[in-house]
Amino acid sequence: MGISDGHLWSPRCPACPDAPGIDLAVLLGQVARGDQDAFEAVCRQIAAPVFGAIRRMVRDRCQSEEVAQEVLIDVWRSASRFDAGRGSAMAWVMMIAHRRAVDRVRSEQRSAERELRAASAMIPYDDVAETVEASLDRERVRRCLGSLTELQRQAVTLAYYQGYTYRQVAGLLGVAAGTVNTRMRDGLIRLRDCLEVGR
Amino acid sequence: MRAGRPEPHTLAGAYALDALAGADLARFERHLARCEHCAREISEFREVTARLATAAAAEPPPGLTGRALAAAARTRQLPPATRKDAARWPARHPARTRPAGSRSRAAGLLRRAWVPRLALAVAAAATAAAVLLGVAAGTAAHRIDEQQLRGHAIMAVLTAPDATMLSGRVTTGGTATIVMSRRQRVLVFAAAGLRPLPSSKCYELWLMGPGGDRAAGMLPDPRQGMTGPVIASDLKAGDHLGLAVEPAGGARQPGTTVILVIPL
Repeated sequence: MGISDGHLWSPRCPACPDAPGIDLAVLLGQVARGDQDAFEAVCRQIAAPVFGAIRRMVRDRCQSEEVAQEVLIDVWRSASRFDAGRGSAMAWVMMIAHRRAVDRVRSEQRSAERELRAASAMIPYDDVAETVEASLDRERVRRCLGSLTELQRQAVTLAYYQGYTYRQVAGLLGVAAGTVNTRMRDGLIRLRDCLEVGR
Repeated sequence: MRAGRPEPHTLAGAYALDALAGADLARFERHLARCEHCAREISEFREVTARLATAAAAEPPPGLTGRALAAAARTRQLPPATRKDAARWPARHPARTRPAGSRSRAAGLLRRAWVPRLALAVAAAATAAAVLLGVAAGTAAHRIDEQQLRGHAIMAVLTAPDATMLSGRVTTGGTATIVMSRRQRVLVFAAAGLRPLPSSKCYELWLMGPGGDRAAGMLPDPRQGMTGPVIASDLKAGDHLGLAVEPAGGARQPGTTVILVIPL
């Protein structure tokens, strides 16, 4: 199975000193049986990465909290669908969180309100979160992102952290859509090897 | 192969980044259902993107977990997946439904005296964004034309034949303006001069009517004193629009601090 060691996934943030704790995959199994204490322990482990990732995409504080809460409830509702044979627990949680955030960002893109947010998201453009404290894990991600080509990095980060589709990324960068999707895949392959998350 | 239709396999990266939409997504998911290699690659990519996510970890707001626990206690859980569901892991959750407003349609001529004012505010935001984008990233400036077209849902309300404008004073300060189309059962809300809130509180819109109260969305942070526009859809006869100060993350029912009520 994939990486599911709690400690490898610990966000190591000062706000969550007790984050590592019991293996997340084990806890999800208990949550699937309706164990509310296990759900509380899961929330303690995932709240910071879930909220941080959503905040980074959605930007707006109130709406980020709203989406983060939806994600935690999704985890409760669908814990029985987590299959440890198909990937780590944190990858499963973050997939749910990212899709929720993407849904929110794309529905905002349909409204004029998105304009200003897009502008404010572009200005302090930086590969990895700005204000949060440095950590070993974060440094490693930053270093690995730095090892990509410019186009690979832009393609991956515009899609993942800003919620753009690959066709939008292509328009944004003035590059053919086919080039963008191969750069996304090449970039993820390089990140996978750099972060050593191969199975 | 037709131009503009990439080899499905090369889309594995875009899929893992949730960067596929519409027909691209449907086509790739059909391919994925019979491509073991793709499924393996995507599951590795999910481990990568999870690291991108955890690298952005930030201190969650106080009370987030508490509210999730309370909501979980009244939320029914899904049964374990059947074999068929499991084969589709990671399955997409159903798209979140939001008050999305009416269908886009070509914005017609502005019909009413007040429309230019609101339209101007929307256009001004777009222009400001274009300028900022131009400064921040020269290559990005051209995309604003595309994004301007996305204001259609709002423009469709502003230019609806039966559009009506209402406004009200917010008791804690500021004014709210709504433009509503009864026929489309949609309204656009905007406010000016709302009092800033502590980080533990948010402004939330409510539709309050005989059939019960429905949350209609959290207001975004104000920009230059302006808040919105926010679209609320699915209006019902007898509804009132309410604005309330709620705990960050929203409430189940409008709280005691409803600071604006507008009969619709």
